[in-house]
Amino acid sequence: MKVMPENAAIGQLRQALPDKRSSTALMALLGVGVVAGTAAIIYVLSVGHLHAYNLTREVPWGILISTYVFFVVSSTGLCLVYSLGHVFGIKKFEIIGKRAILLAILTLLVGFGTIAMELNHPFRMIIWVMLNPNLASPIWWMGTLYGIYLVLLCVEFYALMKHKHKLAATIGLLGFIAAVTAHSNLGAVFGLLEARPFWHGSFLPIYFILSAMVSGGALLAMIIYLNNTFRGRKIPADERNFMQSLGKLQALLLGILIFFVVWKIIPGLYGSPPGKFEATMAMLTGPLSVNFWLFEVLIGLAIPFAILINKRTRTAFGVMLAGVLSTVGIFFMRYDLVVAGQLVPMRVDKAENASPLLQYVPSPAEITIVIGAICLCVLLYVFAERKLDLKGMQEA
Amino acid sequence: MTIAFSKKLSRRNFILASSCAIGAGSVAMMGHRYKALAASKEVFELNDAGSRDVFTSCGMCVNKCGVIARVRNGVIEKLDPNPNYIKSRGMLCARGNAGLDTVYSPDRLKYPMIRTGERGEGKFRRASWEEALDLVADKLEGLAEKYTRAGTVFVSTEGFQEHFFTTFAECYGSPNTLRHPTLCLASNIQGFGATYGTNPTPDVLNADYLIMSGANRSEALVTPDSIDMITGEGGKRKVVYLDPRFTKTAAKADEWYAIKPGTDLAFILAMTNVIVSENLHNRKFVDDMAVGFDELREHIGRYTPEWAEGECDIAAADIRRIAREFAAAAPRAVYYQGRRSSFFDNDTQMRRAMAILNVIVGNWDTKGGMVPGSKIALEKHDYLAPWYDGVPLRLDDGSATYLSNKDGSWKYFRDRVLEGKPYPVKGMMVYKQNPLVSVANRQKTLEMMKQMEFICTIDITMNDTATYSDVILPEATYLERQDPIESQGGILPVVTTRNKCIEPMYEAKPNLWIMQQLAKRLSDEIYASFDFTMEEYRHHQLKKRPDIAKALKKNGVFYEKTTPTYGTTTGKRLRTKSGKIEIYSEKYAEKGLDPLPVYTRPNTVPEGRYRMILGRNAYMTHGTTANNKYLQELVPENSLWLNIDEARKRGLKNGQMVKVKSSLATEHLRLFVTEKIRPDCVYMAHGFGVLTKGQRLLQGKPGSDAALIEDNVEPISGNIAMHQTFVKVDAA
Amino acid sequence: MKVKRFAMVLDSNKCIDCKACTVACKVENNVPVEEGNYRNWVSEGALRGKFPDLGQSFQPGQCMQCANTPCDHVCPTGATWVNKDGIVLVDDHKCIGCKYCMTACPYNARYYNETTGAVDKCTFCVQRIYKGRQPACVETCPTKVRVFGDLNDPESEVSKLLVKHAYRVEKPEMGTDPFLFYLI
Repeated sequence: MKVMPENAAIGQLRQALPDKRSSTALMALLGVGVVAGTAAIIYVLSVGHLHAYNLTREVPWGILISTYVFFVVSSTGLCLVYSLGHVFGIKKFEIIGKRAILLAILTLLVGFGTIAMELNHPFRMIIWVMLNPNLASPIWWMGTLYGIYLVLLCVEFYALMKHKHKLAATIGLLGFIAAVTAHSNLGAVFGLLEARPFWHGSFLPIYFILSAMVSGGALLAMIIYLNNTFRGRKIPADERNFMQSLGKLQALLLGILIFFVVWKIIPGLYGSPPGKFEATMAMLTGPLSVNFWLFEVLIGLAIPFAILINKRTRTAFGVMLAGVLSTVGIFFMRYDLVVAGQLVPMRVDKAENASPLLQYVPSPAEITIVIGAICLCVLLYVFAERKLDLKGMQEA
Repeated sequence: MTIAFSKKLSRRNFILASSCAIGAGSVAMMGHRYKALAASKEVFELNDAGSRDVFTSCGMCVNKCGVIARVRNGVIEKLDPNPNYIKSRGMLCARGNAGLDTVYSPDRLKYPMIRTGERGEGKFRRASWEEALDLVADKLEGLAEKYTRAGTVFVSTEGFQEHFFTTFAECYGSPNTLRHPTLCLASNIQGFGATYGTNPTPDVLNADYLIMSGANRSEALVTPDSIDMITGEGGKRKVVYLDPRFTKTAAKADEWYAIKPGTDLAFILAMTNVIVSENLHNRKFVDDMAVGFDELREHIGRYTPEWAEGECDIAAADIRRIAREFAAAAPRAVYYQGRRSSFFDNDTQMRRAMAILNVIVGNWDTKGGMVPGSKIALEKHDYLAPWYDGVPLRLDDGSATYLSNKDGSWKYFRDRVLEGKPYPVKGMMVYKQNPLVSVANRQKTLEMMKQMEFICTIDITMNDTATYSDVILPEATYLERQDPIESQGGILPVVTTRNKCIEPMYEAKPNLWIMQQLAKRLSDEIYASFDFTMEEYRHHQLKKRPDIAKALKKNGVFYEKTTPTYGTTTGKRLRTKSGKIEIYSEKYAEKGLDPLPVYTRPNTVPEGRYRMILGRNAYMTHGTTANNKYLQELVPENSLWLNIDEARKRGLKNGQMVKVKSSLATEHLRLFVTEKIRPDCVYMAHGFGVLTKGQRLLQGKPGSDAALIEDNVEPISGNIAMHQTFVKVDAA
Repeated sequence: MKVKRFAMVLDSNKCIDCKACTVACKVENNVPVEEGNYRNWVSEGALRGKFPDLGQSFQPGQCMQCANTPCDHVCPTGATWVNKDGIVLVDDHKCIGCKYCMTACPYNARYYNETTGAVDKCTFCVQRIYKGRQPACVETCPTKVRVFGDLNDPESEVSKLLVKHAYRVEKPEMGTDPFLFYLI
């Protein structure tokens, strides 16, 4: 599943130059990001993972994994939000249709591409997960379920584009089930590891689903608002109205998320449970503290929540802004989760002068790939907006 | 799936569905074939095809543990311990295992080289053996003309083929062979030799009480002592260990004392005082087997434990208790004399005191005590060295009180070369020794080499000394040679040898061949002493012992017994003047030396400075292995140990670079802040801070102890005293 | 033929941290030195006390060859598997380098070998033991810290040691059921 068609996309993009000047600047910037990401990929493929990445045997999962989780949580979230309208019939949410599924597909594909750069043998994976499946492996299920989910999303998108409503309804339901199953299973990838007290338990599968819902709503707000902005028109009344409702829902979800985060932290501190305590402290006061307090708490939770609970700030713009901020917050939440769980060594070095925590800082190659992936995703979406008819209103 | 489709099954959907079904079915049918494919095989081939085992002997340090080399398709894959090798108790340490890298290192010397640039620049050109050997022989002849045969010094260290080098020196006619013992154990041999007539071997395996002064056996591996110390009998053994550092031996010992460096003599004298004054000594033994006890009794009175406490920082009560425990455990009690004794300028007398302490508890030649070593005799190769007129005595003759004629004294020799008196030495032949790294005061060694007209080094790696030479000759490594049969003495004498594992790589040649080629070029007379093959030489050595040859072939080792023999000296005269053990040394008295050890306090550490102490770890052999890729990984760089309270006082942090300045040089080291060392001492490892560019793993790894350490000397044996250098430590 | 259960018993009290086992293992198993990885290790324990009253212990370790094998559970392609005699192995061809087994291992026993392109770890020198030899680390140890053998054989030295002496395992609370036993 290695995503390498960006060069073709860039070529086509040049032919389909947008008519809005601000868009041009944006596209150019995104293009640079994608080129940089490609260069980083070439670099990694030539010098190998050992020299390009800052990963070690103790910290084998870094920003590439957390970014993959971020993309996948975005995809799941969009699917969930889409399902609110098209599966569970909440009328208001029918406003989003093709766009949600499209972006869900794109984020999923880019996510797969990101993790493919982390795997040493992505092609081997495709062969052996089928020939020698290990049904006890959460990652086997992750691959399988996300594979099924991707197929369902594609079929759904096809159904929406071709106005096959009955098909869309059925696949929509299946897609929803697949999304929830796949994403909670992703939580279980971390949560079933007894070796890692910071991750182990039922919390992560549940928390991932909630996180996906927050992410879905945030991205939805961004799609609706920015779509209008880039088409250079004022946001229509029905969409503005919808944004209000979305904002209220987001506020509720963020509130629940804050509740979840608090209750993740307390058991990590109370009684200083070994393994869990050190990882929690790494986030609160240690090397990840800036990530946590600034990006997760302030930018990701506190400010969006404040914007959304206050009627005066809960404008369409406010809801979009809250969406952007909480998306950034979620990116860091995934990073901190993945990294904090590994900073605690499995074999603590007790010799003199040993540091109790391991270290991880993403290498330039890793960061560049992440930037490239994000840029690619946005670029592909914008390109799709230009080329396809993604008008949202669906007849029931 | 019925909800998904409308009542009318469209054709497209039907095709889609059926293709899926067919696909799934085919996969399922071929399932069992895929399953076989998918099943993980025991992928490790158990075949030995093309593999052969070769008995040989490790060359990574002095212990020479028995090795079985596993060779396949001309490549040595692994070095395994020879389980029959009783001296090593069938083990092989980290260095032994890493021996492969001496053969396959990209930095090893490949072909003869002749200097093109300035000496020390490291610029050489490849030469043929013809050219290089012709040049060396030519130079040697020239030097003999100009400066007499004594004008060339032959520097070497121990090794199975060293004998040919020293024989060559002898045949060439130079009395100046300079070897490593005065960098190491000369004072130990002297002190114990003066007492017992020999340097005995401690029976560590059977001793119940061991006191070790600084012999860091868990890191400075000596077989079988390092093993027996841990695994020895019954668990009732007690190990008391004195060291300014908490080494790995300290971690294993029952009691560790952070003794003030250089005051072991005080501790020993105080122990002797307790044993003598409380009549805990072995009266019968002392009466029958030793002379001078009465003089000792008189002499020892002033060296009380209370006095010693003030000198050595060990509580008087502990000294007293240990002395009593030691005497109670005797004769299975040993004050372990260790090996390297190049610490202080009173070392010979300190070893004398150590020997005397062993004597009075009667542990001589008995189980668990000090046992005279023996050696299995092999046939010697007779040769006749030519006579040369007008060759003076060795350069350092008369320097130390007791100078070994074969080994000399590095300190005195080098000083005299620099002085040019009593005569100039302008030629230097080096075999297997790396003086620029191993001898204290590197600057002096550099000057000594600078004033040489010709330097030739025979070695396996482009180390500092090779870099500063004019001609470099690549020797075949120990894994690429047939070597002479070697008889290793001790309480469990063994006979071992080396068999060639692979042909020498590149153009490397065994030393015997090099010596033969040089001999041929010098004269027929000299060559006559080298006119044999290694096979002939080995055959001759075992002429009278076909049983040894058989055992070597079958087991890689020969030994006559697996437990030591005790009491071999009973009723016999010892190799001393009196024929008995000399507590009081007449011969020392005659030379104007203290016949009984007199305590001298080591020079005090000046304010604001630290005493630099040196030592070993189990992963490095002196200065020779730092560039080995397996071992370098274990000690990637040098560090300076500094006590944690000192560091705190000085505001120095763990991991920062510091400048270490002695009276001779300044070196840079990374600071290791630790509890494990006395506040008045600092410690650094040996073998870093090299000058050569030819050892790639050591580039940019600073910290040369050879540069920092002053060449103080112990005058009786001529042994260097390496722990009397004081340094300043500051942030870099 | 009766199935074996290979295990190792270690007497850490004898360990002098000489690293012979780590070097022997690297040479025997072609562990790429340039990549800075290792299959086994010797840990320096915490320093006890304050100067000049100090104490320290050393403990060797490697893959614990668990019976309740977390790495085996999580490997998506089944590249990690346990052979009939209890040794946890990796099939190089199937490893995709997802490193899940590395995060799942409570002992940091595994690493990714860039040269073979698969995850690697101690295999009890499987290429030696089926020829009747000992693992390299066992054979080479100067102070004979390690004893290797078949726990299903009551006459083996490992069985006898575990009967005679109290022992412990690393991280028993993880429930991994390790087969590296440390004598107390």
